[in-house]
Amino acid sequence: MIETALIIETVVKAVVVLSVVAGMGAFATFIERKVLAFMQRRLGPMYVGPYGLLQLAADGIKLFTKEDIIPQNTIKPIFIIAPVIAASSAFVAVAAVPYFPEFTVFGYTVHPIVSDINVGLLFVMGAASVGMYGPLLAGLSSANKWSLLGGARAVIQLLSFEVVSGLSILAPIMMMGTLSLIDMNDYQIGGVANWLIWKQPLAFVLFAIAGFAETNRTPFDLIEFEAEIVSGYATEYSGMRWGLFFIGEYANMITISVLVSIIFLGGYNDMWFIPGALAMLIKVSLWIFLFLWVRAAWPHIRPDQLMWLCWKVLMPLSLLNVLITGIVLV
Amino acid sequence: MFEAIAFYTFSILVIGMFGVVVFSKNALYAMSALAGGMIFISGFFFLLNADFLGVVQIIVYTGAVMALYAFGMMFFDSAKDVKENIKYKKIIYTLSVLSAIFTIFILMAPIYSVKIEAIYPTMENIGNIQMIGLILFTKYLVPFELAAIMLLVAMIAGIVLVKVKMEETPTNIEVARGEK
Amino acid sequence: MELRGFKSRNATPGYIYFEGETEVKTPWDRFKRFSSRAVKGELFVGLWIVLREMLKFNIHTVQYPQEKLQMSPRYRAIHRLLRLFESGHERCIGCGLCEKICISNCIKMDTKVDEKSRKLVTEYSINFGRCIFCGYCAEVCPELAIVHGDDYEYASEQRAEFGFREDMLTPLDKFKANKQKEFPGFGALSKDADKFVKKTPLAY
Repeated sequence: MIETALIIETVVKAVVVLSVVAGMGAFATFIERKVLAFMQRRLGPMYVGPYGLLQLAADGIKLFTKEDIIPQNTIKPIFIIAPVIAASSAFVAVAAVPYFPEFTVFGYTVHPIVSDINVGLLFVMGAASVGMYGPLLAGLSSANKWSLLGGARAVIQLLSFEVVSGLSILAPIMMMGTLSLIDMNDYQIGGVANWLIWKQPLAFVLFAIAGFAETNRTPFDLIEFEAEIVSGYATEYSGMRWGLFFIGEYANMITISVLVSIIFLGGYNDMWFIPGALAMLIKVSLWIFLFLWVRAAWPHIRPDQLMWLCWKVLMPLSLLNVLITGIVLV
Repeated sequence: MFEAIAFYTFSILVIGMFGVVVFSKNALYAMSALAGGMIFISGFFFLLNADFLGVVQIIVYTGAVMALYAFGMMFFDSAKDVKENIKYKKIIYTLSVLSAIFTIFILMAPIYSVKIEAIYPTMENIGNIQMIGLILFTKYLVPFELAAIMLLVAMIAGIVLVKVKMEETPTNIEVARGEK
Repeated sequence: MELRGFKSRNATPGYIYFEGETEVKTPWDRFKRFSSRAVKGELFVGLWIVLREMLKFNIHTVQYPQEKLQMSPRYRAIHRLLRLFESGHERCIGCGLCEKICISNCIKMDTKVDEKSRKLVTEYSINFGRCIFCGYCAEVCPELAIVHGDDYEYASEQRAEFGFREDMLTPLDKFKANKQKEFPGFGALSKDADKFVKKTPLAY
């Protein structure tokens, strides 16, 4: 019976996390439009509902009811499955991420994590890297040159930045001696001074940069850069299939924000007088705001600049960081 | 019961995927099925409570198959089928089926004759990652280091090969300026 | 004048010139460029500027159907025909200059001589589908009878959308309520126009 209870609990948690993350992702699109608009002295969506809040619902209705177009000469099964891979891997990655400290409801202790595997961090990063198959397969199967270029760019982006994100996260792992995100959070108990960012500032910066690259956010959004390759891998997509890519991107954004908050910024430990859950929410919101802020302010980089940055600057730096950490630890 | 269901599901999926890899004539189908199969294999590791290996399987093979995609993108038109030119179909099929059966026999025979037992049985209080570390740096230290050196050699060779080409071929800008 | 001076003939005093980046040749130059780019923090200047604009909340959006911009008098939208302030008659004397000058041939007018042997405009129409709103008609009109208004919402269901005299002429009730303003924009006399009046030189 314990097994059945566990399964029910897991399913309930999975549904809750899925819907909350999808909802937050959808809401993030609204926030993004608003923040970008304010930074460009515009108002953003204003007509649908109060302050344009119902724009979300309008967009959702539009996406769901739009005609589903599969162009000629595409490789149909892969064209269909690509957005599903993008969205589902983003949600799978969410499974091993703890969001809040555990709490008690009706005398029942809830751990707000779907599956507490002890290699949580690696799992999240692995699932996120599987997510890059979405753009790649979409690009290859679309029978469109822009899409193909987008897919090729997805490959170089993944191959480059997997290395940086892995190496940059290695130094914190060496310090904490664990791959479990919950243990990482517990390592930083005891106020702001115990945050890992003070001990590993370089790793923090490197991981943040790699996070921007893995979520395809602005300085590195060259796989769907409008001015060069129309819409990249998503050129031939419309309606809900395109929407799945979009949801996947925002879910990834939330996951990376949570990861950075947990690994470097003290996770869901209490911060001064702020309770842990609220602190976590604040950190994640600030990180998502940073994503949008950077999008408003910074230009894109070219693919060759991306690889130059990755292989000639970030990778040596992260290796150096690992080396120094090792020397200090020994 | 759940383990059995999961095991058979993953088995069917993996075999099906690799079947597609072998029999498909489209490069894109084959590569996607390969990636899928590699990721489904990690399911077995998770079933065996080897979380670390499972995750490493996902991460490593995602990158590896991604590199394969890069080559496939350069060599094949993924929208068209690859034309295969097989002359001796019967011989090839018989030989491959026979060798497959033979391999299975070689691998399975010792399991049936002697009950294989793990030399390093899992210890209760030590985690997955620590166990791998222990084994890698004690029993398999020499192969581990050898593999590392081999990878280093391959990497340096690759860099040298590309570097020579890079200095010889003029860049587009130089061509446009008429310098080379 | 040097090229630099020629280029700056209209520039305001605080104008900053960018000479272009100096070409890097040695690795040391390259390193200097890299370190200056890395340390200067220009990226953070960009971040600060957009954040400042967001915090200032100085929004420039006009929410169009609810708010409308005040058009400049020089804006050239749908034409209007004005009346004489003294009598309320229409100003048009039927000279036909606007019809002649119209480069897209969209003005058509018909005139006759009435019983007082004055020229009377019987028909006057502008095809707004053809009109390019160049403003020549308003400029050429000797009586300031045809002018450009500021009503820029002239979408129509058909290509040929005609404006007739009855539509464009200031309505009588509006005129009687003293609502007709003298047109200050395109083709109108400037305020100091009287100063420029000279005697016609008759002695050739």
